[in-house]
Amino acid sequence: MQRIVVSLCSCAIGLVLLLLASSLPSTSTDAFPVQAVELDRAALHTLQARYRSLSKQLSQLMPGQPYIVVDTARNHLYIKRRDQVMLDALASTGSGTILDKPGEAKGQWIFDTPRGEFTVQSKLVNPVWVKPDWAFIEEGVAIPKSAADRIESGVLGEYALGFGKGYFIHGTLYTRLLGKNVTHGCIRLNDDDLKSVYQLARVGTPIMIF
Amino acid sequence: MLRRSASLARLLVLLVSPLLFVLPAWAADPENVPAVDITDPAALQEATRILAEEVKLAARPQTYIIVDLVDRAVVIKGRGAELHRLPIEQWSGLRLAEASTAFRVQARPPVTRRRIEPAAGAEQPPVSLDDMPTDFTLTFVPSFSLAVHPSVSDDFWRWLRFTTREWWVWVRNWTVRLATGEESPTHPVLRLTLTPHHAQSLAWTVTEGMPFLVRRTSSPPK
Repeated sequence: MQRIVVSLCSCAIGLVLLLLASSLPSTSTDAFPVQAVELDRAALHTLQARYRSLSKQLSQLMPGQPYIVVDTARNHLYIKRRDQVMLDALASTGSGTILDKPGEAKGQWIFDTPRGEFTVQSKLVNPVWVKPDWAFIEEGVAIPKSAADRIESGVLGEYALGFGKGYFIHGTLYTRLLGKNVTHGCIRLNDDDLKSVYQLARVGTPIMIF
Repeated sequence: MLRRSASLARLLVLLVSPLLFVLPAWAADPENVPAVDITDPAALQEATRILAEEVKLAARPQTYIIVDLVDRAVVIKGRGAELHRLPIEQWSGLRLAEASTAFRVQARPPVTRRRIEPAAGAEQPPVSLDDMPTDFTLTFVPSFSLAVHPSVSDDFWRWLRFTTREWWVWVRNWTVRLATGEESPTHPVLRLTLTPHHAQSLAWTVTEGMPFLVRRTSSPPK
């Protein structure tokens, strides 16, 4: 009984304190968690030198050549050089949907565009699509036994840039869907933007996807 | 005549040669580093700490996030380059003095993914930014919590729900502390108020294991 009373009282006190705390301007030490420090001139110079050295190191880690940035939330692909945007293209990226693998209790494909940093690994002209199993399952048709029956040409545009694990930047027949998350993980562009990306990117060009 | 042109050439070399030293330094002028008052030791120490951590993160092929409480922005970066920036409307924190390392996200905020019905056609609704939560809490390794919520003016009901939940956790911790003498959780906690769209963008961007840095402030916001 005593414990319940203590708990209830502490609840009430807590609420009052919290209300007081939330109404106060944020001037507590947590608002400024880095405390002021005193440094002599030599120590300050050493710190300034370290700051400049680290700034330079970070700057040197930035790609020197053009690099590709893909914003999967807003479906845009950019080519940048340092901070300058060289190309801003409307894209389509992964739909985030799930397709169950038939015959596997917990097996599934998740159609996300992978996030992180990648590099252009291959550059193809007039690519053909070798349809994976999920494409047939999604269409509700049987998976062909012959590899030749998986090949579909003319659906990926004039160029494709591979960035690993079967993911490509390629063209599309469905340009009205650009700007939407509709793909199985690849990045689609219209023909003109695809050509620009093909011309500006080289094998080894970094691709940063977020 | 020849002697005169030789003197001119020497003068030109003398004038141009310092530029050879200056230009590379200018060309390598740091970009995308935190702006800092280098005469303020506390701010400089914090900016240097962040840079040291960031250099380690930027050396690897990955994207990472800097929660910059000085510039009031959540900055998505890769290789030191800024990829995207989400403004912070307000923030508050607990034990942030201990938040001085790189934290890795334990799990993405939950999202309901739609299942594809085979043979139903290509026009099945995808997951979009609108499906992402506007209030969520990210937990990290080492122990750190980042709570994101909309402002009261952006979404009153969500704000109320979030605030009530936060109050409940706070009251419960205090109650436990008073009743049993046990300490409440001792890890750093950061609360960010973002617009619903920016909160959804952050929820969309984070991936499991993604590194976060928190650049703390030493002075009141300007």
